[in-house]
Amino acid sequence: MSVDYARAEARPSLARRARRRPALVVVAVLFVVVIVLLVWSSKPQDYTAFSPENTAGDGARAAAEILRTQGVEVRKAESLGSTRIGDPATTTLVIAEPHLLQEFQVEALLDYPGDLVTLGVDDATLRLANTGLVSTYADATTVSLASCRAEDALAAQQVEAGPWGVSGTPAQGVTTCFPTDRGAATYVDLERDAGRLTILASPEIVTNDRLAQEGNAALTLRTLGRHPSVVWYVADGFDSSVPTWEGGDGIAPPEAVPVSPDFLPPGTLPAAFALGLAVLVTAMWRARRFGPLVREPLPVVVRASEATRGRARLYRRARAAGRAGAAMRAHAARNIGPRLGVPRTAGADALVDAICRATGRNRADVTDLLYGPPPASDADLMTLTTELDRLESEVHRP
Amino acid sequence: MYLTGWTALLAALGAVPAMWSTGRSFAWAWVLGVLALAAIDAWIAPRATDVGVRRNAPRAVRLTESTTAGLEIANLSRRRMRLSLRDAWQPSAGAGDTRHRLRLAAGEAAVLHTTLTPTRRGDRVADRVTVRISGPMRLAGRQRSIEAPGVVRVLPEFASRRHLPSRLARLREIDGQSAVQLKGAGAEFDSLREYVIGDDVRSLDWRASARRGEVLVRTYRPERDRRVLTVLDTSRLSAARVGDAPRLDAGIEATLLLSALAARAGDRVQVTAFDRSERARVAGMTGPAMMPALADALATVQPALIEPDWPAVARLVQGRLSQRALVVILTTVDVSAVDSGLLDTVRALTREHVVVVASVEDPEEAAMLAGREDVTAVYGAAAAARSALERDTVAMRLRQLGAEVVQAGPDDLAPAVADRYLALKAAGRL
Repeated sequence: MSVDYARAEARPSLARRARRRPALVVVAVLFVVVIVLLVWSSKPQDYTAFSPENTAGDGARAAAEILRTQGVEVRKAESLGSTRIGDPATTTLVIAEPHLLQEFQVEALLDYPGDLVTLGVDDATLRLANTGLVSTYADATTVSLASCRAEDALAAQQVEAGPWGVSGTPAQGVTTCFPTDRGAATYVDLERDAGRLTILASPEIVTNDRLAQEGNAALTLRTLGRHPSVVWYVADGFDSSVPTWEGGDGIAPPEAVPVSPDFLPPGTLPAAFALGLAVLVTAMWRARRFGPLVREPLPVVVRASEATRGRARLYRRARAAGRAGAAMRAHAARNIGPRLGVPRTAGADALVDAICRATGRNRADVTDLLYGPPPASDADLMTLTTELDRLESEVHRP
Repeated sequence: MYLTGWTALLAALGAVPAMWSTGRSFAWAWVLGVLALAAIDAWIAPRATDVGVRRNAPRAVRLTESTTAGLEIANLSRRRMRLSLRDAWQPSAGAGDTRHRLRLAAGEAAVLHTTLTPTRRGDRVADRVTVRISGPMRLAGRQRSIEAPGVVRVLPEFASRRHLPSRLARLREIDGQSAVQLKGAGAEFDSLREYVIGDDVRSLDWRASARRGEVLVRTYRPERDRRVLTVLDTSRLSAARVGDAPRLDAGIEATLLLSALAARAGDRVQVTAFDRSERARVAGMTGPAMMPALADALATVQPALIEPDWPAVARLVQGRLSQRALVVILTTVDVSAVDSGLLDTVRALTREHVVVVASVEDPEEAAMLAGREDVTAVYGAAAAARSALERDTVAMRLRQLGAEVVQAGPDDLAPAVADRYLALKAAGRL
């Protein structure tokens, strides 16, 4: 085996490199630890509107926290099926955004043997609960007085109502409060067979942004804090389960659930995520270059005619027809002179004479063509050029 | 370390079991597992330091021709290796297929070939050899680049050598070696021979006739052992592109043809490439070694973006030549020649030597001169006419100084210079 092979230099081992630069290792370890801690401690931020964990303006974390400090246990349910209420008699079931529920879910909710509060209004609930009311929409929010006999509403005195509300003639036993001047009400309270149903038609009352306004807080806390525990569910349209509680069997979900078209098979999201990670691995595979790029010292590449082209552009921009015409004339004379045996040193007369003899042209014409006034415009220049070309071709004709 | 496509495929296969999982933890676990497996695979692959490479590049190749560069690769470890390898060359070396795959048993060596078709004159250098050693699972491996210097010198194309046979035939005619009779050719006395009817009576040698008692005439032949010095201008103007190549390349072609012709004619050839300092020099070479030496010296000459130092050229020429010689200056006849001192240099040189100034004309300008389509083209024609007149003036000044001026396009310059040389030789002016 010969010894003159070129070989890659042995790189110092990882341990030796670490020993040489201990600070680097410490920094790297700290970095990893901080990242792990951050990932570990960070809960996924809740951005769902009316969620009791959402701290943003449209969340309801403030209301939930106040209830908790008052000794009410607030639990958020991720799906209706996971409500699993132990004692319906002491538990308020809060449903936010009920318009996203399907009808069989509303039916099941109305069977709940305890207090039910909906944050928001939908016609299915109003109809199935026989309230005789329908939902309406007004563009504005107005501050309205309770104007009814419900204790909770009277305690709140006045709230910000709208834009959603209910209107119509309430059925027997249905109380509506906080009417606006357009006749819509914002608070609906009725006794069902199983328990009370309270509808906050403008759910913005409970949000972090608006809780401190008017009597919003009083209405919210009194409505939600009747019992020592609250189960809070925010409808999302993808959940097709029904609520469950101790002692009740609820209503079995129908065999065929009407699904929206983007309702995907259950494993799709994890599989798509795995594919996404595989794309990252593919990027790592493709990103590794097979050796470094090779430098190419490039030569200077300027066309030799660049200066002439620049001069042509200058002529054109300056509309220097006279100067261009003079160049064309001189060039034509230079071409014709040697052809007719006229030396360069000979004067203009000698050249004109020779041309007249060769072509039989009028002397005045030739003089005017070669030594006349300079062309004044582009059109004159074109004409002059054509004339000069014709003269040259006549001279060159044998 | 590098990953292979198998790793990506294996990572993508994780999507199938992920369909029965909930959440993202399974996908993370799968991908991290695959990456860990790849890392292990790379770790247990043979060490990259156990690969030895040795270049076996050809010394030189003529431009437009192809050659193969050899690369010997050896497995210096005690394990089998599965390798892929990139033999990197700079792009203008025109390396064809630079990537190779091979398996090497322990201690085995193999020779790989990379085809080179260089696209530019000069020294084309090889870059590092990058080696990838695959791990046993083929998921990943080790990658290292090994310094393996190599150079291929790309010689000038010498496309004008196709003009050489016709010029040599012409040279033989002048020389009297061919059957064609050429009266008055040459100026150097060759021999005496008997008068035959038809000979020019002016060439009778009366003294010899008196001594021998018969009528003798002198015969002449072209001078031999004359000095021909070619000065190749490598300054700013030689960098401009004419057609597809810089002006300098046309000058090199002309130098090669003229030198080949002059060497055959028995003259002593010297070549120098000069801008502000001497970039290449060939002198004192004769016989078959001269042309390769000349091509080798001119191969690496590149245009420099500086003004030429013409007085220095005059001093250099006068220092090199002790007797009357033909000095061919390959440059550009341009208005700037007046300022740069070319005229003074030519004036100084024509006192002792025969000077030929050869200039590369731009065919693009000739095309501009004929433009008549619209006003823009006519203005272009006027600008080209003005340039041509200016060049004419400079050429006339040069002729007035006693220099011969050759102006031709890039492809015609070499034969034009050769023809001028032959004409001077036939006229006995050397």
